[in-house]
Formats: sequence, structure tokens, C-alpha cells
Amino acid sequence: MHISEGILSGSVLAAGWLGSAAGISYGLKKTDTAKIVRTALISSAFFLASLVNVRIGPSSTHLTLLAPMGLVLGFGVFPAVFVALLLQALLFHFGGLLVLGVNTFIMSASALLVYVLFGKFIRGGRYAVVFSFVAGVTAVMTGACLVGAALGMTDGNFFTAAKIIIIAHIPVALIEGVVTVFLMSWLKKSAPEFLS
Amino acid sequence: MLVFMSWACEVHAHGVGYRQSGMKAVALEFFYSTGEKMSYREAKVFSPKDEKFAVQSGRTDEAGRFAFVPDCEGEWRVIVRDEEGHQCEAKIDVTPELEAVSPGQQEEPLYVRALLGVSIIFNIAMIFYRREKHAH
Repeated sequence: MHISEGILSGSVLAAGWLGSAAGISYGLKKTDTAKIVRTALISSAFFLASLVNVRIGPSSTHLTLLAPMGLVLGFGVFPAVFVALLLQALLFHFGGLLVLGVNTFIMSASALLVYVLFGKFIRGGRYAVVFSFVAGVTAVMTGACLVGAALGMTDGNFFTAAKIIIIAHIPVALIEGVVTVFLMSWLKKSAPEFLS
Repeated sequence: MLVFMSWACEVHAHGVGYRQSGMKAVALEFFYSTGEKMSYREAKVFSPKDEKFAVQSGRTDEAGRFAFVPDCEGEWRVIVRDEEGHQCEAKIDVTPELEAVSPGQQEEPLYVRALLGVSIIFNIAMIFYRREKHAH
């Protein structure tokens, strides 16, 4: 889901940085002392999840954990994703530094969307498993659509590539849905305060 | 008639051939940070003379290998990327003799970089934690 350096236009890069800066600033305001360690923990999990490969036929992809991040951190997902993506770019060469703003916005907004849409239902208990699965799928597919939109806004010729990206993420979305179900069930039993 | 036909065939047929090149090739292996090979990924070669347009393009092989033959000195770049946005850029310094090719700096092992990343995240968190605590 990381967009590489040198693909997007200057205006899309600038819009990404603006959106991310606003999100990070608001997220930091919403992150109090009690949530800082939790944010670091989730940010580390996201940082390391990129190393877990999932084979899909001849190709492979990696986990993103977007939905669990959003459901646990809420608005705090912006600074958590920004730091993790910055380190992934520097240490693993995923994405890049100029495109960091766009990548941060795409992943954080996708995670935040499922927090807003499904957070209450997953914490509620009834049909939590179903909502967790839908949240996992929605987060990845929203991210893929935003990647497609960023590519499309740069150049009309990128629409074909965007279509491929969205289709390629369908299996990943299903896997993330299952992972989200397990993680949310485990958190509700072992550390319910994480979802408060 | 037959003479005319044989003449026509000779005119339209392009001759092809090959010979072994004595020039030195640069062979590279591309892989993900997990160690997995970047098999069958799009590869582009940029010469020092033109940084915008690739002089060669193709795909890596099953083992993530890609080779090109530099014809001038300077820094050559090979960019390999996949459909998910992962991109690896190799910079190769080619000497005037096209003999000594330096592959650039080798990276730390993956587990070291992973541990370093987690450590940096928790250090940043501690800085914020202390600042918030002092503020209250």
C-alpha cells in the first residue's frame, strides 16, 4: 500500500502533507499521557507488521493492521502511522520521504474511518465478530481506493494501475478481516481498556 | 518467375546473428527486507547521461536478478519496483575502465533494523511521556 517516491505530482504530495500535518497535530492533542505507551506499542506493531509476508499465488504482500490500529487509537492513529512509516522508509525502504505525507494520510484516514464507523459496534459486543471482519476489510479497501485516487489525480494514465491495485488488495483485505476478528476478540478479553 | 521470387525473399528477410560481447555486465540481485526475492519485477536502468529516460527496461528473473552492460563511466541507477509500491534503487559507480564496479554500502541485518525501529518509537514515546508529565 506504500506509494513509491517519484510517482505522484507536486500538488498531490502537498495535499498529502497538509492532510497529514492536520491529522498529526489533532492526534497529538487527543493523545494524553495514559495513551502514549499504547500508541508506541501499536505503532511498533504496525512498523513490524510490514515484515510479515502473506503469499497470494505467485505474489506476496504484507499485513497492515490498519483496522486494529484505528479501533485502538482513534485520532491518535495519525502520529503512530507517521512515525512508523518514517522508520519503514528509512530502515526498510518502503515508500519514501517526499511521499510520506500522502502515505500517512492514506493509511491513517483508512484506519480512522473504521474507528468512526464500527468502533461503537465492536466495543458493544453484539455482532462484534462480524463488525470486526467488516472493519478489517473496509480499512484495506479504503486505503487501496485512496492509493488509486492519488495515482489518478496525478495522471489519468494511472487509472489502469489504480484498478490493478484495488483488485490486488481484495485478498489482503479478507486476510486483514480475519486478523482483525482475532485481535479484537483477544483485546476484548485480555485488555479491554485498549478499546475504551 | 522462380528467380524473381527468390530475389523478393532475399529483399524482405532481415538477417540476424549474434556474437559474444566482451563488455563487462553488472549483475544485481534484488530482494525485500524480509529476504524474499523480488522475482519478475519491473526494472529500469538509467545511465549517468540521462537521468529521466531509462536506457533499458525489463523484469528481474525468478531469483530477483537483473543485469545490464554499462557503456560509460559514472553513476548508473537501476530501479526495481512492484505493483504495491515497493521500490529498490541500486546505485552503481562505474569506473573509466568499466572494470571495478563498487556495489555501495551494505545494510545492517533485518533484525537489527527492526529492533532499531522499535527502539526509536519507544524513545520518542518516552520523550512525549516525560514532557506531558512535566506539563501537568
